[in-house]
Amino acid sequence: MPPATAAPGTPVAAGPPGRSAPATAPAKNRRARRGRELRAGLLFSLPAVVLLLLFMVAPFVSALVLSFTDQRLVSPRPVSFVGLENYVRVLTDAQFWGALTNNVVFALIVVPLQTGAALGLAVLVNRRLPGRVLFRTIYFLPTVTVMAVAATVWKLLLLPDGGMVNGVLDTLTFGQLQPGWLSSTSWAMPAIVITSIWQGVGFQMIIFLAGLQAIPASLYEAATMDGANAWQQFRNVTLPGLRNTLIFVLNVTVIFAFRLFDQVYIMPQFPGGPLDSTRTMMLQLLQTGYGRGLIGQASAIAVIFFLFVLAVTLVQRRFSREERAVQ
Amino acid sequence: MRRSIVAAGCASLALLTTTACSGSGGAAAEAATCDGTIDGPVTLTSFYHGGGAEKETFLAQVEAFNASQDQVTVEVQSVPEGTYGDSVRAAAASGDLPHILDFDGPNLYNYAWNGDLIPLDSCVSPELKADLLPSITAQGTYDGKLYGVGSFDSGVLLYAYRSALEEVGARIPTGIDDAWTAEEFTDILGRLQDAGYDSPLDAHMWYGRQGEWFSYAFSPIVQSAGGDLIDRTDFSSADGTLNSPEAVEAMSVFQEWFENGYVDTEAQDDSPFLNKTSPISWNGMWAYANGYHEAAGDDLVALPLPDFGTGSKTGMGSWQFGITRETEDPDAAWAFLEFLLQEENQLMTYETVGAPPSRISVLEKAEIYAEDGPLALVTESLRESPRIAVPRPQTPAYPAITQAFAQAVDDISNGGDVQAALDEAVRRIDQDITDNGGYPAFE
Repeated sequence: MPPATAAPGTPVAAGPPGRSAPATAPAKNRRARRGRELRAGLLFSLPAVVLLLLFMVAPFVSALVLSFTDQRLVSPRPVSFVGLENYVRVLTDAQFWGALTNNVVFALIVVPLQTGAALGLAVLVNRRLPGRVLFRTIYFLPTVTVMAVAATVWKLLLLPDGGMVNGVLDTLTFGQLQPGWLSSTSWAMPAIVITSIWQGVGFQMIIFLAGLQAIPASLYEAATMDGANAWQQFRNVTLPGLRNTLIFVLNVTVIFAFRLFDQVYIMPQFPGGPLDSTRTMMLQLLQTGYGRGLIGQASAIAVIFFLFVLAVTLVQRRFSREERAVQ
Repeated sequence: MRRSIVAAGCASLALLTTTACSGSGGAAAEAATCDGTIDGPVTLTSFYHGGGAEKETFLAQVEAFNASQDQVTVEVQSVPEGTYGDSVRAAAASGDLPHILDFDGPNLYNYAWNGDLIPLDSCVSPELKADLLPSITAQGTYDGKLYGVGSFDSGVLLYAYRSALEEVGARIPTGIDDAWTAEEFTDILGRLQDAGYDSPLDAHMWYGRQGEWFSYAFSPIVQSAGGDLIDRTDFSSADGTLNSPEAVEAMSVFQEWFENGYVDTEAQDDSPFLNKTSPISWNGMWAYANGYHEAAGDDLVALPLPDFGTGSKTGMGSWQFGITRETEDPDAAWAFLEFLLQEENQLMTYETVGAPPSRISVLEKAEIYAEDGPLALVTESLRESPRIAVPRPQTPAYPAITQAFAQAVDDISNGGDVQAALDEAVRRIDQDITDNGGYPAFE
């Protein structure tokens, strides 16, 4: 805790943590204490480690093993080792590549749009305006809504006949723009994008809001003294202060974007339709494993999907470490 | 997913080739049979699909059954219809199947092949068996044994407003044999559109999510053209059958309806036909009692599906019941199924759902299916099964077939290349059959 008199956020004077062991203490004592700490540390992390092993590592190892077999969901036939057959099939399947492309396109559109919108909203509701709590609540509400429910509601809003979105478009464009949102290959993905941003933006907004409030007011005061206008303050105080928040939000949004499933399952007439224009890797995975019962092949998709997300995350981490170095 | 983990464990111990790690293993177990006596009080679980009036009727019958005797209690677990097949497969994989399973007819062959169902031959009395519609027993039989019974059958047909057809001078068929030809039907749709009905056909594309609709309702197009979902001589390939020139041509006509905007693709309920904005509806026999008759009154006509070359065909079969390998006392489960097939219960279902009862003796008492009843053509189709009412392919590959065909229907209706869509469906079906070694029988 910084001393109460210091301005919030002022770096605490450098120095050893108050409770560090005296240098004169015998080595034996230190070792014993280390041992106790180690034991306590292990004990505290045990539940998390067990859960991680049970629900993350074990299923992944299981998927990895299964991806080399022809395991079916249900079948009286014995399971056999098929080598790389599943991988060959997945990687030569045009539908799989279509799904991967859709995922990438979705991420490329949603990540900048959603992050930008969330930042804008956060700056907006961070101002000392009357009723700002109400606005924060309104913008955050969709996040609390289950995606499946949000998708169902948006499906109704986007109906070409009687849907509210086209009703508004009709008035605004004098009937010129009346897309058949979920039944047209060119509008289905935009419809999914709109729904996803609407539902997800509140979450990022709250994180940005927390980030904004951690920026010391004194910096803005100093900027004002220096004669910086609102844009200059945003550019030179707000953005640098939000750098770590921004990196976190980008990371999370990318991972969420690749997990796209509920919307494309619920909103189009046929999951992933029309003409596979909203098919994603998660949908492909589910339909292969459960619909077609090809657990081995679905496991291969899962492994490829994992490696892909891992690669994206590593690239991002590298990028974000450089950002931290600048700080 | 318990079994997958077990399988993974087996795999990591490099025991892959041993039979200890084989699939569901149900086929290996000795199937229980009916011996005519119920051994003590027993509680049975049952899955049930769907909702609405059909489910309410079913639940009322379950309650009546439970109250009628004190040996067997049936507990019902609802499973959503849209992903029902997936839920059942997941339950089978994890050993969580109920004792009594209801399923959309053609999935039966896969369940039976897996060893999930037990044959009912030792349970059904010969009198009852003789009284069941031939279409019902055809649908319920796999590998020479009866695995499922349904309390009602079904059919697909066209409904139309007579006045709208007269308005454009369309010929009104009087029976199955003089059904509209495909060209005639296309022409009538065009004339109706010219007459101001923007999308004259309500094909219920929104049912697409409900698993079976695309295969059930639109495979008669392929069959009427002389093709089929699979070559039924040995059920080993769909090549040359599903993607035959005749099938491609028929599905191209189907696509033309969408390209010309004849089909209302945006509807999310029955309203296009009920409001007469789409005066022709491609729907199941259930629609008659579920609002169509009320909306159209005497103006309603029921017509056979169009003839694409080899005569009008229709879908058939509905949800059936079977007894799973989890059941130790099949007599108890059969007592319940027999109860559902009793005349008064069949008539109750008929009255609430409007479906044709599966027992010939009861069907005769169902007014709308009687000889001069409004849906007599459904009865005729079912009695003429498989010439007119075509059962969906009786093969364990059916789940793969229906998924591939439904995908093709969706692609075609959205403007995808017809030949490519059907070729892809064939590729997926044949791949599935090869992967399963041609689905050899496991005894």
